[in-house]
Amino acid sequence: MLLERPAVSAAVDDPAAPAPVDDGRRLARLRRNARFLAAITMIHPKLFAVAIAGAAVFAASTIVSSVVLGRVIDNVILPRFEDGEVAMGTVLAGLGLIVGVGVIRAISIVVRRGFASAMQWRVAQTLTGRVVDQLVRQPIAWHSRRADGDLVARAGVDTETTVSVLAPIPFATGTVLMVIGSTIWLFVIDVPMGVVAAIVFPLLVATNVVYERAVAHHFARAQNQLGDFSAGVHESFEGVQVVKSYGAEDRETERLSHLASDVRESRITAIRIRSWFEAFLDAFPSMVNIGLVVLGAWRVESGDLTVGEISSVIFLFQLLVFPLRLIGYTLSELPRSIAAWQRIDEVVSEPLEPDPAKRIEPAAPGVGAELDAVTFAHVDGSPPTITDVAVSLPAGSVTAVVGPTGSGKSTVAQLVVGLLGPSAGTVRRAPGAAAIVFQEAFLLAGTIRENVEFGGSFSDDQLWDALSLAAADDFVRNLPHALDTIVGERGVTLSGGQRQRVALARAMIREPSLLVLDDTTSALDPATEAIVLGNLRRRLTTASVVLIATRPSTIALANDVVFVDGGRIAAHGDHDDLLRTVPRYRELVEAFEADRGTPS
Amino acid sequence: MSAVDPTLAARAGTIAPSQPDSAVRTIGRGLEQAPILRQGLGVTWLLAALGAAGRVVVPILIQQAIDRGIVGEDEVRLDLIVQMAVLGAVAVVISAVSFRWAAKRLGERSERALYDLRVRLIRHIHQLSLADHNEERRGGLVARVTSDIETLAQFFQWGGLAWLLEGTLMIVVAAVMLAYNWQLALVAFAVGIPLVFVLRAVQTRLVRAYDTARTRNGEMLGAIAEVVSGAPTIRAYGSGEAIEEQVDEVVADKADAQIRATIIGAFLFPSGEVFAALTVAAVIGVGVWQGPASGLTAGALVGFVFLTYRFLEPIAAFTEVLDQTQTAVAGLRRVLTVLDLPIGPPPAPEPVALPEGPLAIEVHDVTFAYPARADTPGIGMSAPALSAIDVSIPAGQQVALVGATGSGKTTLGRLLARFSDPTFGEIMLGGVALTMVARADLRDRLVVVSQEPFLFDDSIAANIGFADPAADRQRIEEIVDTLGVRDWIDGMGDGLDSRVGERGDQLSAGERQLVALLRAGLADPDVLILDEATSSVDALTEVRIARALERLAGGRTTIAIAHRLSTAARADRVIVLEHGRLVEDGPHAELLEQHGAYRRLYDAWVSATAVSRDR
Repeated sequence: MLLERPAVSAAVDDPAAPAPVDDGRRLARLRRNARFLAAITMIHPKLFAVAIAGAAVFAASTIVSSVVLGRVIDNVILPRFEDGEVAMGTVLAGLGLIVGVGVIRAISIVVRRGFASAMQWRVAQTLTGRVVDQLVRQPIAWHSRRADGDLVARAGVDTETTVSVLAPIPFATGTVLMVIGSTIWLFVIDVPMGVVAAIVFPLLVATNVVYERAVAHHFARAQNQLGDFSAGVHESFEGVQVVKSYGAEDRETERLSHLASDVRESRITAIRIRSWFEAFLDAFPSMVNIGLVVLGAWRVESGDLTVGEISSVIFLFQLLVFPLRLIGYTLSELPRSIAAWQRIDEVVSEPLEPDPAKRIEPAAPGVGAELDAVTFAHVDGSPPTITDVAVSLPAGSVTAVVGPTGSGKSTVAQLVVGLLGPSAGTVRRAPGAAAIVFQEAFLLAGTIRENVEFGGSFSDDQLWDALSLAAADDFVRNLPHALDTIVGERGVTLSGGQRQRVALARAMIREPSLLVLDDTTSALDPATEAIVLGNLRRRLTTASVVLIATRPSTIALANDVVFVDGGRIAAHGDHDDLLRTVPRYRELVEAFEADRGTPS
Repeated sequence: MSAVDPTLAARAGTIAPSQPDSAVRTIGRGLEQAPILRQGLGVTWLLAALGAAGRVVVPILIQQAIDRGIVGEDEVRLDLIVQMAVLGAVAVVISAVSFRWAAKRLGERSERALYDLRVRLIRHIHQLSLADHNEERRGGLVARVTSDIETLAQFFQWGGLAWLLEGTLMIVVAAVMLAYNWQLALVAFAVGIPLVFVLRAVQTRLVRAYDTARTRNGEMLGAIAEVVSGAPTIRAYGSGEAIEEQVDEVVADKADAQIRATIIGAFLFPSGEVFAALTVAAVIGVGVWQGPASGLTAGALVGFVFLTYRFLEPIAAFTEVLDQTQTAVAGLRRVLTVLDLPIGPPPAPEPVALPEGPLAIEVHDVTFAYPARADTPGIGMSAPALSAIDVSIPAGQQVALVGATGSGKTTLGRLLARFSDPTFGEIMLGGVALTMVARADLRDRLVVVSQEPFLFDDSIAANIGFADPAADRQRIEEIVDTLGVRDWIDGMGDGLDSRVGERGDQLSAGERQLVALLRAGLADPDVLILDEATSSVDALTEVRIARALERLAGGRTTIAIAHRLSTAARADRVIVLEHGRLVEDGPHAELLEQHGAYRRLYDAWVSATAVSRDR
């Protein structure tokens, strides 16, 4: 019998602290567990059924293997040693049975494990797919209410935790069958043996469950403390310059060693408890077997049992020790899996929110984009980000939106392209595509081509044309595989300016009627910025361009400036006029100047 | 996967990457580093051996009961069997208690040893030179202290115990088997041992399959993270469905890789079953063939069958443990590699106290080259970042260091703060060579303020107080007034007790700079090195920063690593660096007149920041 050792210490959050439960709550918990198991096993019922069948064969062949061993002892070994003689045919039949049953048992394990794992990972795939579907379909207002890391965790870690209980379920089911079958078999061959089984098996399961719960709690605490320690180490190393500047190396080591000692103490407590349980679980089957030898000898004396039968009972007990441990593990894992499943369900079961882009109305001829008495609040009832904004941009105009940090500039940009929907008022736009390029260019980890196409389908000529408009053709041509160069996660292999230009090409290739650049060109030097905007002007003659600007050279490229302050339009007009007549505007533009970065 | 981070190995050997230590040597060195683990290891092993002995009690009892109590006797000798059973029970209890103590001792000691190792590692890493703390290495350094030590902890919780227990068990069982019947024992070994090779072969494939699965999992998480962080872009371009298709593919790939790995694993355990059946059949076959004539008894043969299972059990456990051991040794090797890195500037052997009062700085013929990266073999140093810098800064002077990115201005700042020592040349502070100044003395008198500062996830007061743990609230309040930022502090929700968030992300970039200036103010140094920020700050905060900075710098020797030339214009003196060389030195106005490097920098800056359009 070989060990499949479960990773008990992998617990992350507290799995069902052993709180006292009354019958009502226990029933509710049972019902919840059953609902959960039904829900996830029924995602791929066929795989589950085959795995369970494998487990059933395993259970049966395990019992049979111990029966065979008993028969071989009674019919081959004892006759040979007591009478000196045994038929060759009997010997071969006995040995053949041992090997044959062993092979069947082995095959049943392969089937069970194979299909259990197929089920486990296909269910994980389905669950992740459901989360991804939601991520793609929900508008960005939905996204902005959630932390990025949390969403990724739900699609990744949580699905894995949910299905972690699936793999042992067929085994656990098989073990339950094995225990029931063994108990019945023991009652059939001898009632006192059956009574022992009926007492010992449940006792072993109960001990395991108690053990898993007792230890899991401490390991979970250690795991949380390890998280705190890791965060502390990360922070301390990240701030190493400050630490060194103030000669605080010793102080920091001291602080972190406290966190590390918390981990150590929790682990030592867990180890102390665990070592008792481990020792008990190691000794308990031996003690039962010793008892069985005495009981067996008495039953042999009374003529109720043979030596082979006792041996096979002892053998069966040994075979069952590990499967019984796994039941404890599975049961203790359940609460964790259910918690993870609920976190996934929370995201997946949310109704799809309406697409704000569908609420945009067509603008009158000659108007590129228009906000009509638009108010926007991120959450209903909270103070609005922009209030009662009314502005109309003629088709073909280049407009700079200028304002201090937090004035609502970016909100205006996202409203006008339909990423956000107004809380009140109307957004209108000329027909045709709208494109927006954000301050932080977002690049997929794929190729330049994939990043410009971005789900669309374009010819190479179109790609090069768009890249040249974005002043990106030169550098792309010099990349090792030109259009098919992989840019790495978030485009790490490119510089900030290069990423921006690829993102610009992505916008240009779609020939939009409205193009919004949300502080896009801040990563470009002024000369490139001028070239790009010049190209854009020449090509998209009827398109309206909105520039969210934070530097004078960008503002200089616009023929119209909208000055946003405190969520309202404070002024709208020519840059030079605003400089003269609006002191707040002048102050802001001068601050931009003082902020300019290194001129290198 | 290579166990050693090549860049770190290169640094450890300074010139060429050194050969990684063998597993045995690594373990030996690990034990050297962890004396707690070594102490009493013999006792722990003895207890484990006693614990293992408990597992042969039942087979021996069966043999004894059959041979002496049941078979061959006229009637069953129940009294004798009860006596033997009691004896066996006592043995099992003793062995269980021994096992418990062995597990407890090993567990506790390993946790203590790992704690010590963690603390030593943290202390060592904090003392490494800043050159070892760049962005790309930080993740690795954090991993050494956290996940690599965790692989060791995992090892001690399962694998280490298994080595002690299962290893002893195998020896004990083998000895008992040989004692019963050496011929049968050899049969069992001969049929059973090949299992080791089968398991190893499967194991190797399994490890590779799990590596692939881990890689696919990483790719999947990366793809999902893209969908999350790129949500606005994906939405804006209506590319949801196309992207979803791509992600679904990656998700399916991950499931496939996982299933493949588990199916390989599904053959691991059953092969043990098959071997067990074969071995037992062989033992019974040979035993029956030998018969009683050879001295074998029925009980011994039955007991032998049970022993055979006991003998094969640890083999399976070992194959698992072997992998865990390899992972743990690799983790330990990485940890030791970091401990081998030389610590940053060495402490002064016989420190000389800095003189009282303002301090002058003299830089004598300083050249500095960063240690070579692993990808430039044969050469110990990369091209110098600074060449033959000679400059003297009188006490109390306000100096701006300017130059393009990569000109060496940041490096010079770091050398002045002794975050590294020059490769050649010498820096004197207040007439004392920097290498002769005690670290604590230096940090008391000279402070570096980064204007893209790091804040700890704590309150504003705690972040200011970081400069001087002895400072009470009173002094922190005073420094707020001294630097004239009382209005800002009062405007924060909880004043000085407002939390700044992770890395200070609850504050704006400008507010973080204010906290850093307050922190420096509390330290009250004689020399201030300011590393200017490039990020933008809103106008009001900018005014506050300028005011606080002016008050902070007053009366102190100040060296500003300037990115904004408006800072340079305000300084007493401007030092211009180009490609690691000092090219110009003088007041702002004079340098402008020279129409040299400084003028070029200045003109470029002005054109980028012009307010009015020149049409």
